[in-house]
Amino acid sequence: MSLRVILITGANGGLGRATAQAFLQASRDNHVWLGVNTRREQADKLAGENTGRCFCVSLDVTRPESWKPAVAEILARHQRLDVLVNNAGSHQDGFLAMMPPDSWQRVLATNLNGVFHGCQAVLPTMISQRSGRIVNVASLSALLAPAGQTNYAAAKAGVVALTRSLAKEVARIGITVNAVCPGYVDTEALAVMGDAERRRALEQIPMRRFGRPDEIAAAIHFLACAEAGYITGSALKIDGGIF
Amino acid sequence: MNNTAELRTQIKRLLVENLMLQSTPEEITDNLPLFGPGGLGLDSVDALQLVVALDKNYGLKIPDPEAAKKVLQSVNTIVAALEERLSADPR
Repeated sequence: MSLRVILITGANGGLGRATAQAFLQASRDNHVWLGVNTRREQADKLAGENTGRCFCVSLDVTRPESWKPAVAEILARHQRLDVLVNNAGSHQDGFLAMMPPDSWQRVLATNLNGVFHGCQAVLPTMISQRSGRIVNVASLSALLAPAGQTNYAAAKAGVVALTRSLAKEVARIGITVNAVCPGYVDTEALAVMGDAERRRALEQIPMRRFGRPDEIAAAIHFLACAEAGYITGSALKIDGGIF
Repeated sequence: MNNTAELRTQIKRLLVENLMLQSTPEEITDNLPLFGPGGLGLDSVDALQLVVALDKNYGLKIPDPEAAKKVLQSVNTIVAALEERLSADPR
């Protein structure tokens, strides 16, 4: 196995960190870059614990001008980029009738535009390499479209469609593009739910438990590994059997 | 061999190597259409790879589909675009 370079966005959060750990634990040859924006304390800690093969890089996924120096920094060090995990996301739930336009724009900007900018930033390198893996973190909301999440569900459904379309564009060049659609996962997003809301959520899950970040990370890692070379354009739901 | 002839040879090699063509560089004539029937038969994915390769190897930016349509007609049109770029920025 030779050097593999992985970039994970939204890496300060629970799922981003779990994904980074999955790659770091899988092989000493994996070098992981943690894309961080306003919050970075957890990512800095993880990089500090894995000196020499885990690094933080400033990255506002919503701005193409932020992607350029981030990718350039990675290429300056390794001269390659093998895996992009578009994980950065945010949500501002509310009914559409009362949703401020700004809430719509922000959620689309991070969850959908961020994926577009990320793919565009790494594709020239992956096309030159004639190899690459892109894994987009969508959501079960993309498939279920729950009330109160028109912005988030639309953005994540867009991510799934982008994934399928881009997969066809670059399949012949040795690049795979896949999405994961996690259901309820025990991360910061779930921690803000009240007890009653958590109980209602658990009742919807046939497994009667929330997913763990490492369970989602394992799927992301699999989609980025050599054995998954024939899988592209898929949207893998990971939800304890909800849908 | 003058610069233009050398560039043509390089572009033909780049086409064959980057797009994994079955043709040899010598079989690609200077004005052979790259796309469409009766030509080299490239498609849109080949065009994407070609745009990336020209930027990486020569710093030639092809910013939009209109420019691509103009530049990527044949080896000669690619060479003309490269020479135009080199004369504007001789570094």
